[in-house]
Amino acid sequence: MSVLLEVRDLAKRFATRAGREPSPWIIQGLSFSVNEGEFLTIIGPSGGGKTTLLNMIAQIDAASGGEIRFQSQLAPINDMKSLKPGLNCQIGYVTQEDNLLPWRTCLENVLFPLLVQGKLNDETRARAQTLIRAVGLAGWEDHYPHELSGGMRKRTSLIRTLVYDPPVILMDEPFGALDAQTRLQLQDDLMRLWNLGKKTIVFVTHDISEAIALGDRTLVLTRQPSSVAGEHRITIPRPRDIRGILTHPEFIELYQRIRAQVQ
Amino acid sequence: MSNAEQTMDLAAPNGFNWRPYIVRAGQIAFAVFLIWVWKAGSQSAGEMFVADPFKVWDRLLKIAASGELGHHTYVTLKISAIGFAIGCFFGVGLPFVLRRLPRFTDAIEPFIMASVGVPKYALIPLFILWFGINDAPKLWLIGLLVFYPVFIAIFAGIRGVDSRLINMARVVGASESRISREVIWNALLPFFFSGLKIALPRAVSAAIIGEFLVGNEGIGYYIEHSRQQMDVTGAFTGIIVATALVLIVNSALVYIDRKFSAWRPTDRHMEL
Ligand SMILES: Nc1ncnc2c1ncn2[C@@H]1O[C@H](COP(=O)(O)OP(=O)(O)OP(=O)(O)O)[C@@H](O)[C@H]1O
Ligand SMILES: [Mg+2]
Repeated sequence: MSVLLEVRDLAKRFATRAGREPSPWIIQGLSFSVNEGEFLTIIGPSGGGKTTLLNMIAQIDAASGGEIRFQSQLAPINDMKSLKPGLNCQIGYVTQEDNLLPWRTCLENVLFPLLVQGKLNDETRARAQTLIRAVGLAGWEDHYPHELSGGMRKRTSLIRTLVYDPPVILMDEPFGALDAQTRLQLQDDLMRLWNLGKKTIVFVTHDISEAIALGDRTLVLTRQPSSVAGEHRITIPRPRDIRGILTHPEFIELYQRIRAQVQ
Repeated sequence: MSNAEQTMDLAAPNGFNWRPYIVRAGQIAFAVFLIWVWKAGSQSAGEMFVADPFKVWDRLLKIAASGELGHHTYVTLKISAIGFAIGCFFGVGLPFVLRRLPRFTDAIEPFIMASVGVPKYALIPLFILWFGINDAPKLWLIGLLVFYPVFIAIFAGIRGVDSRLINMARVVGASESRISREVIWNALLPFFFSGLKIALPRAVSAAIIGEFLVGNEGIGYYIEHSRQQMDVTGAFTGIIVATALVLIVNSALVYIDRKFSAWRPTDRHMEL
């Protein structure tokens, strides 16, 4: 397996605002890599810089130091102007907030990436419909975001990324706002999808069980300034039964090891 | 509190909703009262100063039949529309250009804001001096009066566009021009309409003031000409026509705004 994404000695601090203390380092000395086709889960304390990390990988924000290498391209450092958000649609990003366009209906939001990429046709429309049904949004296509519940908006934003099938997907707590049942359902769907297409996924979560159940590998981040506190290979065989996994002996052992590392 | 309860009762989901009818009846009663005040005023001040409302009505019918009303209205609307289009073009376009030039924007912003303070009507004599006695001074006046509210609304709106939505659009592959058209434009529409709500009545008022001073047609001309002839009824008729014009233009605007912003949460208390 080849390394697809490499983060080396990454550092980030935001610009200091006039009249305030110098802004702190949010991330410092963070290094890890992601293999092609790997499912990497990341756990870390709230405010630790996980969203900031994903923003830098997706190139909507610039790092202050270190390296982010995707395939063989280096992301620009400290240079907002030369960023290439999404790297020509190679990196999909399900953000922590849903970021739906409020003037577009649920369906129109899902179709938006296809529209701007000029890929809107009968086949992709059918795919969008399949995804909408898969996440239980059938019947809500014509509703505007403010008419949907928080969880429904989250699901809409999830399939807005899945619909154009980017080879790499970053996900920032995509299932945080959902009830246990829907959550299990979507975790199952995501697993199936990943098994099919062998996508590369970087998945941020607060939930240790979720991190173990989904991932090939889990990265635990420290408090601010954030770096890697530990790395755990998860060898529980696939396909996994998300519901039954909680009693798997390896799961229990991993859970305790990670639990001890999360501050 | 009892007032609120009453409203609740009237708007009971299952019963017949009387509320709109009661409001409408109240409005009609008030309109009748206003006409009565007008009539009384006309009688006590004398028709030399305040025209009789019924004579104004007769005049309205007369000039409508003779085609005079249509002609003057057309002239005023036309000049307002052209001036409005010019003001809108720059008021909308300039912020989009400035968005690409942040440093230049910071440099000229205080000057733009200072120029807001110039009383535009005070410039009319200069416009006449510079552009002569024709439509040009009117267009400049209307254009400027429309430009500022639109420019300020759009300029403020552009700064308020959610950068996270723009980032999202970039990540999924939207070009900069697509982002301008889709994300920024739609986020701006509410600001644009609030700018228009100020600008449109101003365009008509400015056209009328321009016609007081320059030219021999239009509603403004009709009002001023009537006054010179000591025709108070004519002047009042002109004012009524001008008011109706502004009201019609405004309600057209409200209608269009509703169409465009069907996606916005509709809240009865917010809609005002
Ligand atoms: N645009 C910004 N300007 C200044 N500071 C920022 C900015 N964005 C984030 N931060 C700071 O960076 C730190 C990390 O934020 P980030 O959103 O990455 O945390 P997180 O790990 O995603 O947290 P959570 O799990 O709660 O989502 C926080 O202390 C936050 O205050
Ligand atoms: Mg976050």
